[in-house]
Amino acid sequence: MAEAPKDVLVRMRDDLQRALEKAPGDRRWVMVIDLRKCVGCHACTIACVAENKLPPGVVYRPVLEQERGTYPNVSRMFVPRPCMQCDNPPCTQVCPVTATYKNAEGVVDVNYEDCIGCRACIVACPYGARTSDFGYTYLEELPVLDGAIVGRVTSEEYERSANYEYGKEYPRLNHRASPIGNARKCHFCLHRIHEGELPACTTTCIGRATLYGDANDPDSVVSEMIKLPNVIRLKEELGTEPRVYYLV
Amino acid sequence: MKKSSFPKWLDFNAMSSFERVTLLAGIVAFLLGLWGLYTRLFVGEREVGYGSYVVWGLWVTMYLFLAGIATGSYILAAFEYLFNIPLFKGVGKSALWAGLVTMPGALASIGMDLGHMERIIKVYLQPNFSSLLAQMVWGYTLFLVITVITLWMAFKQKAGTPADGAFKAVLWIGLVMSIFLSGGVGALLGVNASRPYWSIGLLSVQFPIYAFASGVSLMMIVVGWFLGFKDEKQREHLLRWLGWVAIGLSLAKIYILWAYLSQGWYSNLPGVIDPIREIMFGKYWWYFWVIQIALGTLVPLFIHMTPKLAHNNLWAGLTGLMVLTGFAVARANIVFPAMTVEALDGLPEAFFGPHLSITYYPTLLEWSVTLGVLGGVTLFFLLGARYLSIFNKPSEVK
Ligand code: SF4
Ligand code: SF4
Repeated sequence: MAEAPKDVLVRMRDDLQRALEKAPGDRRWVMVIDLRKCVGCHACTIACVAENKLPPGVVYRPVLEQERGTYPNVSRMFVPRPCMQCDNPPCTQVCPVTATYKNAEGVVDVNYEDCIGCRACIVACPYGARTSDFGYTYLEELPVLDGAIVGRVTSEEYERSANYEYGKEYPRLNHRASPIGNARKCHFCLHRIHEGELPACTTTCIGRATLYGDANDPDSVVSEMIKLPNVIRLKEELGTEPRVYYLV
Repeated sequence: MKKSSFPKWLDFNAMSSFERVTLLAGIVAFLLGLWGLYTRLFVGEREVGYGSYVVWGLWVTMYLFLAGIATGSYILAAFEYLFNIPLFKGVGKSALWAGLVTMPGALASIGMDLGHMERIIKVYLQPNFSSLLAQMVWGYTLFLVITVITLWMAFKQKAGTPADGAFKAVLWIGLVMSIFLSGGVGALLGVNASRPYWSIGLLSVQFPIYAFASGVSLMMIVVGWFLGFKDEKQREHLLRWLGWVAIGLSLAKIYILWAYLSQGWYSNLPGVIDPIREIMFGKYWWYFWVIQIALGTLVPLFIHMTPKLAHNNLWAGLTGLMVLTGFAVARANIVFPAMTVEALDGLPEAFFGPHLSITYYPTLLEWSVTLGVLGGVTLFFLLGARYLSIFNKPSEVK
């Protein structure tokens, strides 16, 4: 009896294991987003916020809603927008202290301890993929009532405890503690990848619209996808060479 | 009469009425700025109006403006000492002193804008010289050193004698740096292909003109209100010419603006035409028409062409102040509007949160800090100039 085809998530996890056996420089992480499958549920946005403990005002992967055409011939499109991890990134060369750079795996990192918070990289990014952390927490405005469980204290603790971006601990202690005051962006969840887990947005996508893997592996799902003729990249004319592909 | 216990440079009674008013204005501005400075330093950046979409705001504008005054003033001083241009005789030391106090003001303003200002040292320790920002930080630091040396040499220089070899060499270095640095701040914006409105080639070339014009306008204030002359005719003569240069440069600004905006308009690219619409007819219209064009150019032109007003020191200084304000707003109209355009269609509506807006107005905190910086610069300029006897000395010009 023929073997049932594997779910794409299972395939991608297998792809990931193969990629992790290679030297970092031999992997080419890419993301493919199938716009025909995205239903605009924003689950990936929320998964990303939870994974990276993003505070108010910081977003790595918003889903843009775009309308095409004029009534009655209108269509609606949902465009998730992570950092494009450009191969020719305009954001890195403007950084005065090389706090943001392309790492060995080709992902654009931000070193929070080095970043001076000048936001030159935010200005330079043509995709609006970086946001500044101004030091908010989601539940800080909630009242704390005696005897009532409103959860602010616990939630504050949770929101201020460390996240693990870039494999390091960053508790939000005060307005001087990074990542508060820094430019922040999607990093393809490399801290998960190194543990053999797919990015949070990819595992959460209910439409299996987000695909992730090593484009240097000819057998990977993403390699198959980026060969298709209906693949595009955003603002390709700028020469940024994005690593995020869209199927349209 | 009872002798004041203050040294002369600090003695309020020994000041002219222009100096007193300026001193009081400086003190008030500085006091109003204390709340902002405290909040920014000890609470953080939360109460600012800029954010992740309109990334740079009033503080960056003030940095461009004050740095422009510093480099423009240096150019003016170089014209006096290096080329002996009679038109600018007598303003050299005031111009150098102005450069020396406005540059730290510029750096303070941009420092406030940094999420981690305490890490500025990293720009010296681990600079990335492909970044215009790193180039500017290093350039302006060197420029400050050059300005200090130039001022020191200007003090050593005997009145009426031409600049010697070493002084000339320093002035040349300073002059070239002034031109490159003033253009460099334009390039800081212009290199961003992500902001088409800034990518019009004319952007960075207008900055040295803006800088020189700012230096000239500031000198109008200094000559009109503060500088002492043996012969009042000399003041009148200087004011007349400085006024014409300032107005000529303002008209040049209008010409460049016309070229810049019409070219952009004609291209019809959304990233270019949207900011132009905002500037001319949108939320920034009054900055442009009322302050930049009317108050910054047309009113000064009218004053200068009205002999009764043009020969009045108060009005001459006010003309300088108006032109200067016009050039400050010109910088604002370059910085904010380019960022009020969506990077991608639908981005501002995709996620809501603080500082995720493409509308920008400076907040109370930003105004307060700006007032504090301007107040500090004013006080430092005035009292320092009095301490160094820059205003009191009769001009060297015969
Ligand atoms: S999308 Fe923006 S932040 Fe990400 S690598 Fe490209 S330029 Fe840099
Ligand atoms: S905000 Fe940080 S990462 Fe971005 S350019 Fe400035 S120092 Fe570099």
